[in-house]
Amino acid sequence: MALSGDQRFYMASSVADAVAALRERGVEGVVLAGATWLMRAALRNERSDRSYVAISKLEDLRRIDIRPSTITIGACVTHAELARAIAHVGSCRALASAAAHAANPAVREVATVGGNLCSPGFAASDLTPALICLDAQVELETPSGIERLPIEQFLQLRDSLPPGWLLRSVAVAQLPCRSTHARLPLRKAGDYPVAIVSVAVTLNANGQVDSARMAVGSVEARARRWEHVERGMIGRLLDAQHAADLAERHSGDFAGRDAVEAPGWYREKVLATVVRRAVADLQSQL
Amino acid sequence: MTTILQVNGEERHSTSDPLTPLVDVLRDELFLTGAKAVCREGFCGACTVMLDGRPVVSCLMPLGLAAGGDVRTVESLAPDDVLSPLQRALEQHDAVQCGMCFPGMVISLTAFLASHPNPSRNDVKAALSGNICRCTGYERIVDAAMSTLQAP
Repeated sequence: MALSGDQRFYMASSVADAVAALRERGVEGVVLAGATWLMRAALRNERSDRSYVAISKLEDLRRIDIRPSTITIGACVTHAELARAIAHVGSCRALASAAAHAANPAVREVATVGGNLCSPGFAASDLTPALICLDAQVELETPSGIERLPIEQFLQLRDSLPPGWLLRSVAVAQLPCRSTHARLPLRKAGDYPVAIVSVAVTLNANGQVDSARMAVGSVEARARRWEHVERGMIGRLLDAQHAADLAERHSGDFAGRDAVEAPGWYREKVLATVVRRAVADLQSQL
Repeated sequence: MTTILQVNGEERHSTSDPLTPLVDVLRDELFLTGAKAVCREGFCGACTVMLDGRPVVSCLMPLGLAAGGDVRTVESLAPDDVLSPLQRALEQHDAVQCGMCFPGMVISLTAFLASHPNPSRNDVKAALSGNICRCTGYERIVDAAMSTLQAP
């Protein structure tokens, strides 16, 4: 039976109201933020007849709080708002670049941080690998209070979160690291990249890599770290060619996803080049 | 369920499903046919309108999320048949070809130039990266946009 009125579309008036509405709707309830992913559900042969709870106008979820130790980004902050707010925050260069180059200008004005993280079917999310490399934490509103999780744990759990759980914000620590975000878009793939590499490193006084976090997006269904390459970079000076060689050597770590815009083997094949570009950008920051 | 929004300065009401793409409300109910529903995936930009001063792809904007908003379509840019400076420049540079992408191009550029008074040529190209012209008439469109800038 077709839903009507508030059952079909409900504009939440507060975070608590949204959580209550989602609990009431149970498995039929869907959070609607920027809507750029959900509005294409029918094109993906997915259901578009569910019960939507709109949260994009909730001021509590639209704030960006930049403090010396941490940047907290509300779930309904758009890519464009995020890019503008952190354009000059050195420690978050990867995230600023991801927000500034994802999709296209008109989509960036609407698509939200929360939508990017909470759409498991969207493998080409730019923000996700950037947030992984920056070791972000997510804050969830749950019926029993606030819960905080490392982003990688959240990505593993996001498909199975019970009704009524809502992503409130993402927090990134402001650490003395250098970070970057490299992506390979193809026009055939619309505005989405076929492979993404985000990297954050800290360097010692000799310029050698003390710590490294590298995340790969769009190659597999879910973004994840590339620990073999991270380990190979530690203790050495930043060296784009060496990083690319490591990527080539460990290219079997990823099983590229086949999709209409690019086959899986192609995504695997281009990874070393994207890694080289990413580390070359880190070198240019020295 | 009635949704109320401002369209080109007038209060308009719609009883369509709140998940209806805004472009369909504009075209089919309000007969504002400037915005074109072409790809319906947010890639081509032909349906771009301004919502509260921001360019948005109206194919991916549900009516319900536009409620209470200020929508401006290409029809609002030439009140009393007087073209905007950008529209005049596009005409003078003979930049219009088939016209399918053009309302979106004009809206994207109008919003961009309002917030970036002195962009570089590359900035203009980046601002148009979500607007695809099937006639590939990009360079003259960028020429026209650059010609509207104040000389230093």
